[in-house]
Amino acid sequence: METKIGVFLCNCGGAIKNIDFDAVAKKVAKFPGVTCVNLSSNLCLEEGKEKMISCIREENIEKVVVAACSPEFNEHIFREVLEKSGLNGHLLSMANIREQCSWAHEGDVTEKAVELVKMAVNKVRFLQPMEKKAVPVNREVLVVGGGFSAINVALQLSRVGLQTTLLEKETVLGDGLEKLESFYGFYPSSMISAVEGDRNIEIMTSAHMTAVEGNIGDFGVRIRKGGEEIFRKYGAIILATGYKTELALDSEPKLRAENEAISGINIVSQEQFCRMLRNPSLKTKPKTIGFMFDFSDENSRFPTLATLNNALAAKKKWGSEIYVFYKSVKVDSEGVEKLYQEARDCGVVFLRSEIPPRITAKNGRVKIEAKDVFLGEDVILACDILVAEELYLPAEETENLSSLLNIRLDSRGFFQDENVHLYPVTSEKKGIFFVGGCRDDLDLGRVLTDISSVVINVNELLSSGKIPVDVERVKADPQKCVACLTCIRVCPHGAIQLIRADNSKEVAGISDLACDACGICAAICPAKAIKFQGYRDEEILAQIEAIGESSNGRIVAFCCEHSAYPAADLAGKLKLHYPENLRVIRVPCAGQVDVFHILKSFEKGAAAVLVLGCEDGACHHITGNIRAKERVNYCNMLLKEVRVDGRPVAMFNVSPNAPHKFVRAVNEITKITKESGR
Amino acid sequence: MIIAERKPMEEIKQFIAPYKKVLVAGCGTCVTVCWAGGEKEVAVLASQLRLARSAEGSEISVLEATVERQCEREMVAEIKDKVAEVEAVISLACGSGVQTMAEMFEDKPVLPAVNTTFIGMPEKEGLWVEMCGACGDCFLDRTGGICPIVRCAKGLLNGPCGGTRRGGKCEIDPEKDCAWVLIYRRLEKQGRLDVMRKYYAPKNYRAVKRPGKVQASKA
Repeated sequence: METKIGVFLCNCGGAIKNIDFDAVAKKVAKFPGVTCVNLSSNLCLEEGKEKMISCIREENIEKVVVAACSPEFNEHIFREVLEKSGLNGHLLSMANIREQCSWAHEGDVTEKAVELVKMAVNKVRFLQPMEKKAVPVNREVLVVGGGFSAINVALQLSRVGLQTTLLEKETVLGDGLEKLESFYGFYPSSMISAVEGDRNIEIMTSAHMTAVEGNIGDFGVRIRKGGEEIFRKYGAIILATGYKTELALDSEPKLRAENEAISGINIVSQEQFCRMLRNPSLKTKPKTIGFMFDFSDENSRFPTLATLNNALAAKKKWGSEIYVFYKSVKVDSEGVEKLYQEARDCGVVFLRSEIPPRITAKNGRVKIEAKDVFLGEDVILACDILVAEELYLPAEETENLSSLLNIRLDSRGFFQDENVHLYPVTSEKKGIFFVGGCRDDLDLGRVLTDISSVVINVNELLSSGKIPVDVERVKADPQKCVACLTCIRVCPHGAIQLIRADNSKEVAGISDLACDACGICAAICPAKAIKFQGYRDEEILAQIEAIGESSNGRIVAFCCEHSAYPAADLAGKLKLHYPENLRVIRVPCAGQVDVFHILKSFEKGAAAVLVLGCEDGACHHITGNIRAKERVNYCNMLLKEVRVDGRPVAMFNVSPNAPHKFVRAVNEITKITKESGR
Repeated sequence: MIIAERKPMEEIKQFIAPYKKVLVAGCGTCVTVCWAGGEKEVAVLASQLRLARSAEGSEISVLEATVERQCEREMVAEIKDKVAEVEAVISLACGSGVQTMAEMFEDKPVLPAVNTTFIGMPEKEGLWVEMCGACGDCFLDRTGGICPIVRCAKGLLNGPCGGTRRGGKCEIDPEKDCAWVLIYRRLEKQGRLDVMRKYYAPKNYRAVKRPGKVQASKA
């Protein structure tokens, strides 16, 4: 027997004016399987929802289509309505007749609305229920590092009742804390004793990670401590491996050679200078001190802070003359503007130079020659000590850890890819977090924010001991999988592994927990073994089928739900009009769009195909937009091969807040299509 | 694993020109793994052919099927009904699969849509390299598990030649590693460099019987 489909149309309190709803209802009622069509003006309000529930129950409706506003707004509400009516929430398909139909075009768009509803009805026929399940997770957390961030993360996690292991490669915790002490008035000993006295925290020193397997909630970590190897299980991993600093002089061999004899005495690092400041037995107090920063590396938030703190301390303790050479003072950290003012008020002289000063050393004195921007003159300073510019660099083990965990680094080699879709402390792999200096040049305030964010994130994930998931949302059919490993190699979230289920052959196993539902694997699988519920071939082709029946050539646009889809909604809201023949298919990521789906669109009569994804370097699923671009090129090659001209396929990058760019993309493809004579 | 790649479209279009109903038959084993002839490639080629014909204004009906191993008669037999419907079969399997298919359906032309290229392994996602020449007289015990017959541009059994470039690259292609440098390094690691001191006479390839036949001992 045919599945009973209920269609609910909503005119959004009269906000949808250019659609003749009665005409739509009449046509939709004739679609196969549609058992009832309801008109409403307030479907998302209590009254509308109640009517919807009673209709679903009375008519024994099995699947639901809602034609109303964008699913971006209310999809979750309607899913709840389905659940309340006793249906699985995933048996819902929405037709966006407001933002992407009524508001996007001028004049009557009844015909388009009918087609959009038809797409949704076609899709809903194939939708399958998805079960929800709570997957048990390990509540223990591994914190890699033993510095300020690591210690404080562990202490705070302990306070919310989560057990942690602090994994420190050195022999003791808090090796580098001394340096911070004079800046912020910390007492490392008190922090360390707090950790040592905490029953929720296990400390492993002289130990490092050698291998990691598994996924969020169930990481298996091999740790080498001394000669032995320990295997432990953790629910989450937090990297707090910090940074290292290097004198900028080190990168210039000539300077280094010149200064070799005296370096460490006359030319010092901030850390060495701190030690001098604290040394009670220092015989001669330096009379003239030079500082340098922000010439070689513009990421100098931390060096700025160190310079200001040390300059002030020296001024107060020794009363020395202090000259600071800089290119730009980075005062965006809390309290730094004040610190800078204080330093000036105390008589610290700031000299701005565009190019790095020339440094020479002779007879125990360091000569600094710079061109002062404000004076417009050369400045020559002979000083007793130069606190040289320091570069803020990723810690030694960063690269090794990144390959061990298979996570990306940014262009400077720090943890975390530069991608606007990632929250500051999260990685592309669920359950792996970064905190503090290992991910950026951060001041204390920002580090504390990082710590809180990580603690909130981890607590939310692990505190209940289980995480709710949609069961087998993305699944490799074990019968069809040929274990080619393609999906494992391409998954940006590291969510796929080879598994041997029930002692049968090895197949790709997708972790429900670690999967972020992008569908990149499904689109690339050469055996078509991976099915992504809601975006399977059947569901996509059913939508294409609905748009194929019109004569005047449609433009099919596969729109990423993280970028182009909301951009299209925004275009509607702003009444930025674009050609009416555009038919949008919402996809979870541009990387989910299969070459085969594009070719099928043409088979069904599409005049052009658009693939719209996130901006370069800002794909929610890291590589999805890059793959989409490659696939579009491949598709053009395939079409050229068979001499099918005038069927343009194009990929554009559109961010969610760029409705104009969306409209430009649509206009562009329309122009190309017209030029090629269709 | 057997690696193949799709033939140029011109060639395919030419040999299917006389037909109006064809079956695109994929294979679910080696050629699926190397992205040349699995279910996905079957769908793509079928779609391309339909689009090509509709652009030309001539009709075609393209059926699709993928069997687990086209080199097995029993598995090929599973699609015999579909084969019966068409005028010709386009096979995306390796040469062995094409021949099995051709033997099973003697009355139908079975046309190869891929070139069977070599035996190899994936270097990374989507890139396969040749590893074995199936010479029938394996030499890998003497070369640290690196086959000079296919990985050396000259197929030398006693290498390296005099043309090795700086950095251990091949004189024929500076992008490629010299197999004999790789062999030296591997044997050095194992403390077996003495193996390289021995001279190996050229292989007598004429002795390899065609067609080859392997009889496994009865279990």
